[in-house]
Amino acid sequence: MAPAIQFELSQPPTDAVSSLKFAPQSPTLLLVSSWDKHIYLYDTQDQEAGGKLIEKYEHRAPVLDVCFGADDNEAFTAGMDWQVKRINLTTGEQTVLSRHGAPVKSVVYSKEHSLLISASWDSTLHFHDLKDPEREPTTITLPAKPHSLSITASKLVVAMTSRLVHIYQLQAIAMLASHANGATAELAPWQTRESSLKFMTRAVACMPNDAGYATSSIEGRVAVEWFDPSTESQARKYAFKCHRQPDPEGDGTDIVYPVNALAFNPIHGTFASGGGDGVVALWDAVAKRRIRQYQKYPSSVAAVGFSNDGKYLAVGVCPGFENGQEDYTGEGATHVFIRELGETEAKGKGAKLF
Amino acid sequence: MGKKKRGHPDVEELLARPWCYYCERDFDDLKILISHQKAKHFKCERCGRRLNTAGGLSVHMNQVHKETLASVDNSLPNRQGLEVEIFGMEGIPAEVAQAHNQRIIAGFYQAEAERRAATGNPTPGGSANPAGGQAKKPKFESPADLKKRLAEHKARKAEQAAGGSSGGNTPMANSPMGQSPGAFNASPFPPPQATFGATQGAGYGSFSQEPYTQPAVAYQQSYPQQPPFSGPPGAQYQPQYSPPQQYPASQSFPPPGYPPGQSFPGQQFGAGSPPGSFNSYQGPPSHTPPAHGGLPNRPPSLPPAPGLPQRPSFGAPAVPPYQMQQLHQGPPPHQQGGWGGNGWKGQDQNSAMSSAYPPHSQGYNGDYSTNASSVDDLVSGAAREADDIDEIIRMAEAGIKPPKKGEASQLPITAPASTVTSNAPTAAATPTPAPETTDTTEKTEQGEKKAKKEKSIKMIYSDNDLSPEERMAMMPRYAFVPEGKTETILVDAATLPGITGTVDA
Repeated sequence: MAPAIQFELSQPPTDAVSSLKFAPQSPTLLLVSSWDKHIYLYDTQDQEAGGKLIEKYEHRAPVLDVCFGADDNEAFTAGMDWQVKRINLTTGEQTVLSRHGAPVKSVVYSKEHSLLISASWDSTLHFHDLKDPEREPTTITLPAKPHSLSITASKLVVAMTSRLVHIYQLQAIAMLASHANGATAELAPWQTRESSLKFMTRAVACMPNDAGYATSSIEGRVAVEWFDPSTESQARKYAFKCHRQPDPEGDGTDIVYPVNALAFNPIHGTFASGGGDGVVALWDAVAKRRIRQYQKYPSSVAAVGFSNDGKYLAVGVCPGFENGQEDYTGEGATHVFIRELGETEAKGKGAKLF
Repeated sequence: MGKKKRGHPDVEELLARPWCYYCERDFDDLKILISHQKAKHFKCERCGRRLNTAGGLSVHMNQVHKETLASVDNSLPNRQGLEVEIFGMEGIPAEVAQAHNQRIIAGFYQAEAERRAATGNPTPGGSANPAGGQAKKPKFESPADLKKRLAEHKARKAEQAAGGSSGGNTPMANSPMGQSPGAFNASPFPPPQATFGATQGAGYGSFSQEPYTQPAVAYQQSYPQQPPFSGPPGAQYQPQYSPPQQYPASQSFPPPGYPPGQSFPGQQFGAGSPPGSFNSYQGPPSHTPPAHGGLPNRPPSLPPAPGLPQRPSFGAPAVPPYQMQQLHQGPPPHQQGGWGGNGWKGQDQNSAMSSAYPPHSQGYNGDYSTNASSVDDLVSGAAREADDIDEIIRMAEAGIKPPKKGEASQLPITAPASTVTSNAPTAAATPTPAPETTDTTEKTEQGEKKAKKEKSIKMIYSDNDLSPEERMAMMPRYAFVPEGKTETILVDAATLPGITGTVDA
């Protein structure tokens, strides 16, 4: 058996994890954003020591999302303080790139187009053309609050409340961002869809091969869809239940957990889902199979991320926010686990069959 | 007499052993047989998933891999078909079971005869003898005795040939204990006794001429009284006769007829013995009997071995597939009383089966909405297991379902969903009647599920409008209220305190 081991970062964030991302170049550089108003940069190489905290960068407010930029030294954050910031990870220099009218939920960076896209609860997207740092971001208005963003080489998927999903083509966004200047613009999505899931979308993640995407909902379900609008491709879409377990009271009800996080393995094209039940499962989207399910984590899984070489899976664990919770805190109960995957651990079973 | 210690089993034990329809292998235990079948015959070559029946495998291949199962793996050439639904010992056609039993019996007597030939020991039936050593006695029979008996025999023969009317007397004289004369008259036992296991040819030639008409009872009666004479032969021959008693008219039982031929395989009989005498018993052991007539009175003589499940009655027709399915799925129907008590975990199997079976009733035809409920019911049993395959099947269902255009507004289906999902009051709050086809399948599916089966759910987070993050953002702990001052500052932001990273060592 391959080294199916995992270790816990010895210096995890002090409060709930909002997002974690591996660096685009180094497979052992990990950024974690937290509700404790910091982002953390770890070197996960030294497994015995539980990784090494390289740096942490303070923000004014909880950080809701983080992503790497063009290289391992650049990061962008989405803050509760409405700001989108660029962080120079070497110098610690922070630059506010734009300001939304509400907390910024997500940021994604497209290296193909040098484009930074941020989504805020003010129902806007900001496009930053980073080829020209002086240029003001372009704003487009969404029909609803965005919950999650994901990009491929050519597309942007925005999952919003009311189960709306918009798919944009980055080409068009890049055009718009390079021409418009700081103004609010109009951009019709390439495709407008309604989520396959009945409940609020929790996360969206695109396949690395640009063929489709997966969405998850608060009601323990994951849907897989394809971009191709042809009838045949659309007929391939499916959804399945996961991250639920029988009520321990044994009255036949299922406790259904939100599926908080999705991440595709960039090498194998399989994806991981992390749920409120503390379970991380690997799925083969094409073969429609579950590849494996890892042992339960101590609490809800808030974020998952694969390293660029697909060898590591980072899992952010913290108490999940549940119904009627008044005094939520992730303090002291937040962990980040790094799991080293075996050669074929995340490989789809169906790959060799079809 | 204590329990016999033998390295070889009784014919009853052999017959009671579970065996595999597909490869004729037999097993100690039904559970082992079932796992054998799952591993050898019902295993999916694509994904290694073990199904419970060939039908289940077929459905699995069809649904999961989109392939058609043509034959059962590792099976005998004539048993590869999918039409018989086999599960353990269930579903084996009566004639196949009969043929198998015959083969077992033939093999048993063959082996027994070989053992006897090799060891010279009496058969189990000879245990009526006071001492085991008696069996070897014939070897030590003095030549004088032999000659005497031969003389007697010849005298009898001569008598018969001459007049035959005094047949009743002569034996009386020879065997004063009142042994039935007819029993021995035609059977020249003495020679085989003396040279048993080596040159019985002559003896068997005549022995077989009227093999089944002799009442074996007569032998048994005679043993105690006539140890030197009929004891040994009784030890040898009694068991040989008893099988015929049990299968009186059966032509399909060549092996029992053969036992004398322990060292005389069939072909030798044909050559060295009176040709006509064996003809009717010469069918090859594997020959399938033409009718059921051969065996019915066997079961009474074979009490089911303890610890083994009751064997299905051989004369009974094969269990029809639907019944088979019921057997696997529903706990109540215990047609085969033996299953339950055998430690066979019916429930476990059931769940596995039910997850494998739903496709049967669905069949992938377009009318999912009509039979979805039954499928759901079937799935529901296994749903809790979060079984891998279960997921797959459901995923497959979801994936294959044809998108039903225009059904998004189909209230009869979606309405119940909103009423039933009391746990998620906001579920119905977002109707968003968008014209996409995307959602409709899911919606109808869920609607059906919620309406038809009481698989209620308890959502950990059920607010459909505000995400957990938004909720958290509202909490004072995390709330950020942008002050007017900071709001207006655009450039200074970079110089705010705390921007420079501080290493928290």
